[in-house]
Amino acid sequence: MSAVRHAQAWVELNTSDPEAVSALRVARVHLPAGRRLTALRRLRLIELSGRLPERAALEELLHRSTQFYNPHKERCSVRLSAAEAVPAPDGAAVVLVCERGSERRPAAERWWLHETGEALEVREGAAWVLSFEPGAHAIELATELTMLRDRRHGLLCNPHSQDARVAMTVVPLPWIEDAACSAREGSHVGLDAG
Amino acid sequence: MSARRVAVIQFPGLNCENESVLALARVGLAGEIFRWTRAADELRDFHAYLIPGGWSYNDRVRGGALAAKDPLLEVLADEAERGKPVLGICNGAQVLIEAGLVPGGSGVELALARNRMTARGGYYTRWTYVRVDASPCVFTRHLPAGTLLPLPIAHGEGRVAAREGETVSALTRAGLTPLRYVGADGRLARRFPDNPNGSLGAVAGLCNARGNVLAMMPHPERAQVLESLARTVSGPWAERRAAAAERGGDLEDQPGPGLAIFEGLRRHLVEAR
Repeated sequence: MSAVRHAQAWVELNTSDPEAVSALRVARVHLPAGRRLTALRRLRLIELSGRLPERAALEELLHRSTQFYNPHKERCSVRLSAAEAVPAPDGAAVVLVCERGSERRPAAERWWLHETGEALEVREGAAWVLSFEPGAHAIELATELTMLRDRRHGLLCNPHSQDARVAMTVVPLPWIEDAACSAREGSHVGLDAG
Repeated sequence: MSARRVAVIQFPGLNCENESVLALARVGLAGEIFRWTRAADELRDFHAYLIPGGWSYNDRVRGGALAAKDPLLEVLADEAERGKPVLGICNGAQVLIEAGLVPGGSGVELALARNRMTARGGYYTRWTYVRVDASPCVFTRHLPAGTLLPLPIAHGEGRVAAREGETVSALTRAGLTPLRYVGADGRLARRFPDNPNGSLGAVAGLCNARGNVLAMMPHPERAQVLESLARTVSGPWAERRAAAAERGGDLEDQPGPGLAIFEGLRRHLVEAR
């Protein structure tokens, strides 16, 4: 086992994600901040914390169980450090949305313990990748599209039960754990604008 | 006297429209399924509105989140502002909360979040006991405070949640939580499964300050006749069913506890004529 303590698995459908397709249409048609939105993708962000194996073994373990993803219909890219790129194009904003207090995935943790003998923590959130027209202020628009305020403003995160973080070039690792900590301290939306 | 017309608004994925129309008919109201493809302005011709249960837009993003952005909701908000009654059941309740029609202050003030239950997660279905509390709600104010209604729930996202927990207590103090989960003895449900989803304050239904918009997670249309009452239900409604069965009556003709919500709507519409 290596000394790696955190890893992220970014899981995305091989086909267009219906949830993102619907959200993109609603945002573009009904929300002022969505008019300059050109693309919207949704990924499942799975974060693992504990004693983790090297990359190849980690990828193989993730590949082996649908507790993490289904390789017949989804693809997965693994990050082991914040310096590694996330599967998002340059200039896109990445928004993390988590259910407050329900980020942990106990079934995945049990599977991992059973397979490896190692206890680790597994958390999951939704990562939305938002691309805007050139010249648009991506962070500002992404934040506006994220936080639900009323019928015309916000969509991706209802702050009464969810927490959100917005990032650009550099996405933190760990991210979900940090977002949960921030939420406990009272900040339900945060900016991680690298 | 012509029956009052109630639009049963159907977004793609909502699937309780027929039984909702039937429940309205049982109290003498003319329910009409109003699909999302119609012009929003046509909604203005109706006297009241009902958004039924189901899975609008597959619950994409969150339950009710996408339907809440539909132009139909703008018209609905206008008509609610004019005092017309609006009832949202289950997914319909999620739409009303996500659209900010309930509790109806400035913007979205609540969430109907993922259930939080003991030793399980996800979708949950069960017959619950709901207590009517004193409230301006037009759907329940004809019922004495303390009335118990056994009603089924069936949802994965129904937990009343607010960023500031104080919000829900304040709504309760203001009489805007007309329906709350209780045990069979009528006492407030403090824990699972009597409180089936972990709702703050055991709240099962919320209304706006005027009382004309109600968002409720239990399904009254699934309890519109005595026949539908679960065998696990005890108390006066179970006794009523047993007595009706003993008389040899057709239980499908006998009003069930859920019909009280629709009867409240009928009474309000008669008074408002």
